[in-house]
Amino acid sequence: MSEAPGGGAPRAEPGSFRDPASRVFLTEDGGVLRALSPAGWEDWLALKESTAFAELSREGRIIGTSEANGAAPAIVSPPYAGVLRHERVPFVTYPYEWTFAMLRDAALLHLEILERCLGESLILKDSTPYNVQWRGTDPVHIDVGSFERLRQDEPWIGYRQFCELFLYPLMLQAYKNVPFQPWLRGSLEGIAPTEARALMSLRDLLRRGVPTHVVLHARLERRHAASTAREVRGELARAGFRPEIIRANVRRLRKLVTRLRWDPRATAWTGYREDNSYSDADADAKQRFVAVAAARRSRELAWDLGCNDGTFARIAADHARTVLAIDADHATVDRLYRALADEGQRRVLPLVIDLCDPSPDRGWRGRERASLVRRGRPDLTLCLALVHHLAITRNVPLGEIVAWLAELGGALVIEFATREDPMVQRLLAGKREDLHGDYTREEFERRLSEAFRLERHEESPSGHRILYDVHPRAG
Amino acid sequence: MKAFLAYLDPGTGSLILQVILGGAAAVAVTAKLWWHRLLQLLHIRRRSPATESEPRRE
Repeated sequence: MSEAPGGGAPRAEPGSFRDPASRVFLTEDGGVLRALSPAGWEDWLALKESTAFAELSREGRIIGTSEANGAAPAIVSPPYAGVLRHERVPFVTYPYEWTFAMLRDAALLHLEILERCLGESLILKDSTPYNVQWRGTDPVHIDVGSFERLRQDEPWIGYRQFCELFLYPLMLQAYKNVPFQPWLRGSLEGIAPTEARALMSLRDLLRRGVPTHVVLHARLERRHAASTAREVRGELARAGFRPEIIRANVRRLRKLVTRLRWDPRATAWTGYREDNSYSDADADAKQRFVAVAAARRSRELAWDLGCNDGTFARIAADHARTVLAIDADHATVDRLYRALADEGQRRVLPLVIDLCDPSPDRGWRGRERASLVRRGRPDLTLCLALVHHLAITRNVPLGEIVAWLAELGGALVIEFATREDPMVQRLLAGKREDLHGDYTREEFERRLSEAFRLERHEESPSGHRILYDVHPRAG
Repeated sequence: MKAFLAYLDPGTGSLILQVILGGAAAVAVTAKLWWHRLLQLLHIRRRSPATESEPRRE
């Protein structure tokens, strides 16, 4: 294997510093390296020998990993004992961008890996969904540094974190129908047991898992706040704590998480494709137009903004390695995720993101979790049936919308619905009459042509919608 | 001293809860745990000093 890391020294990944035994570095050529402390390296050697690791790697549930001590002499020096090289995931995402079913599948992956490893005296030292990433709709555990050898009298350190970042957000959505994404985005640590307890009503106390994992958990946390983890671990060890107890807990949690369901009521968007202002002829023409633009050349990364049921994301995926299917409506994206998973579509990654409030920089020094755009810009953006919603419903000026799309830097397929379009009329009917006077085809085309070069355009058969296939002027 | 290298705060209540929820595997451990606590409460048994003297590393 050629391991030349390129000219510069690998730079530390800013989101990977909490565990001193394991630190991720990125090389200039896009490689992902992990430097391990002496203890971390011993854990890796134990993991490498296990059947569970071999099987989970082969199944694609743990990220592809090889030893690469020759790769980066700059970081194989104290305090690090060795370096691993990992496969890259196509696009890094965070749990506050996932749907309920995605967070649930990530939780089940975590528990399954944990259960299989416990059988070979290994354990995961943390339980964070940030260690799970996606290849299309397949979750993969990326933090090989999380595995460590299990001490027989040691309890499950990651249980609390599992509750805070997986279980409580899932319960919030399943039991209370409250979207979990704003909570996870609001706190990188998730929801604490006492906070989860405060959110549960009397009726919720009867729901599965609440009396134990929430109520009792919060009570014990309050009662034992004064004792240290060291004291309690000592007590547990003396009382004869055994790994079977962890295994029993993991099995119970798996059963609980599997049974958690979120059944969203239909929203305005879930039936949008069947119930909108297009004729069949318009829809067919649009699909052909997008297919031509997508097929012009193969691309690394495409974004489908306002993806709805993912029709156009799937078309883009024929010619792109990865397509982010982005929509603000959680119920719609959750449906899309489940449909894509059933189809075995491995190139489309569905995400819940409101473009008027996209994921910002977060965490320590604002660098631990990157904003959406900092994680990668698209070579192709689809912006179909979206401009009128942003411009009229959300009051974003047309010039702003075009400027943002131009900043993304890639080719663009964009649709403009004229004032005669029934959907636009419906949106305008809810607004003060003089508010959107500049929402016209002429104004839109003027703004678009300032930033983009027109490849081709096409009016829909109904005449109410125009599609543009454009390229950025700069570069 | 690998046992104390955990970089996460496991939460003391969360550790105890695991034993309570551990089902059949945990019955004997739970009983012992509360028995030790009862003895401590009655001042029949002191807390083990060994577990308190080590430096904390979280």
